[in-house]
Amino acid sequence: MAFNLTYQEVLHKPNPMVKINPMKQGSGKIVNLQDRVDKLNKNAAWKKTKKAWIEQGKEFDVSRIPQFTMEDLGLLDIAEDVQRELDEKHCANRIAPPELFDPALLQPALCIKTSKGKYISINSQHTVSTVAALIDAGLVPGATDWRTFKFPFYYVETDSLAFARRAFGVHNGKGSKKQSQYMQLRNAVYIVRIDGETSDPDEVAKERKVSIAEKHHCFPVEVGSDYTKYPGTFTNISTFEGLSDDEIGMACAWHNKYFHYEGIHVSLFFIYRDFVRKFKPAKCKVTAELEEELAALIQSLFGNLSQFADSCKKVWRLYTEAKFGYEDNWNDDIYAEALLQLYKKFGGEEKLPKSITETHDDLVEFFDDDILNLAR
Amino acid sequence: MYYFYIIVSAFGRIGFGITSNPRERNKQYCSHSGGIVDFVYLYGGLSTHAKALERTIKTQYTDHIWMIDDWATEWLNDDVAIEDFHEYVDQLITERHFRVTQVSKNYNFQQDLALDK
Repeated sequence: MAFNLTYQEVLHKPNPMVKINPMKQGSGKIVNLQDRVDKLNKNAAWKKTKKAWIEQGKEFDVSRIPQFTMEDLGLLDIAEDVQRELDEKHCANRIAPPELFDPALLQPALCIKTSKGKYISINSQHTVSTVAALIDAGLVPGATDWRTFKFPFYYVETDSLAFARRAFGVHNGKGSKKQSQYMQLRNAVYIVRIDGETSDPDEVAKERKVSIAEKHHCFPVEVGSDYTKYPGTFTNISTFEGLSDDEIGMACAWHNKYFHYEGIHVSLFFIYRDFVRKFKPAKCKVTAELEEELAALIQSLFGNLSQFADSCKKVWRLYTEAKFGYEDNWNDDIYAEALLQLYKKFGGEEKLPKSITETHDDLVEFFDDDILNLAR
Repeated sequence: MYYFYIIVSAFGRIGFGITSNPRERNKQYCSHSGGIVDFVYLYGGLSTHAKALERTIKTQYTDHIWMIDDWATEWLNDDVAIEDFHEYVDQLITERHFRVTQVSKNYNFQQDLALDK
């Protein structure tokens, strides 16, 4: 049986994302605090919280606001059962690398001050340890003893270690709004694009990956944002960042050529990851013919890649239940395996790596009959 | 065969959905509504394509989806006219080559259609 599915062209319409892409440039907008107060005052959750304060008679105790002082580093102790173990590699590789280190990026020592005048660190032991060790190494001009080196301390007066423990939790995630993967990526891209700062190779690499995707009208966007309704957008940032430049280029080019009218399902990235990594050792090539036939297969049998991915999940469930007697955990390799097995089933003749097609060799038989019947 | 339907509620709101059994699904709507409600347009075709059509509407027609708090329903906002939505669905099917076609108009469970057999 010869492969007889044909990709049918879909009218290429201008993608609004090309103009409104938030990664392209910052808004340059700076607002004052009043803008944020106004926003909160209009928000239903905020109104509810204000009401709860009034009902509970809660008052803001201004004496509890942390105080700020410049103190000798030698006055700071670290309670090991409050803070984590020192991660020496974090100091060496994330804070102190000469190409990254900038004193302006150091955070103040967050601590409590006991009634005996002792400062106990709540957060920032890695920062202060790094600073002290740099002085110890003679790398801070004018400073000979880290114990008498003045450093900013931000403290609350208390003898309660329970408070210190709770504060450590707050400063390390619990109670603070974490940056999303998208926001972290956007920051890296802005640092390179807007600020022209290229000293961090990690940020440069991230910007380069985003540029490759954009070249093919593919755009990372925030989960749940209004942008997700536009074609070419994707939200799975960590998978995207895990791909090589080649993998991103091939995946996005294929999407833009054949499915430019759809959002990107993350299965696209897993499929091309496996193509790039597994075709070469098997001396196979991802040819233009193969790519077109795969697009034809996706379009004809599933309508789009999202629906193909949904079908794969069902196939995996049925397959593992039949083979093992239970539903095994999802495996992202299945997208490429199922796709290439379907390709063969429908008469595809391109040479394919066995490491993809034969790992779960009868997976394809678990697709719905109305799909498989089309091959007969 | 799998189905995509466009429904108009007793209050005049337009909705949509997919089902493998339009007769049973229509009965459920009628039971909840306390009266006969029609699937004004009923499409049938490949299951994956009917599902892809519905998914596309949910993703790309999102500005017109009726929200109850943060819950995106399968109903449209008041300002969407039935013929506009019908035209949008037909256009999607044509442009994206979805393998579904209109199989009935103003269908409800009281009718004996060929698709039930």
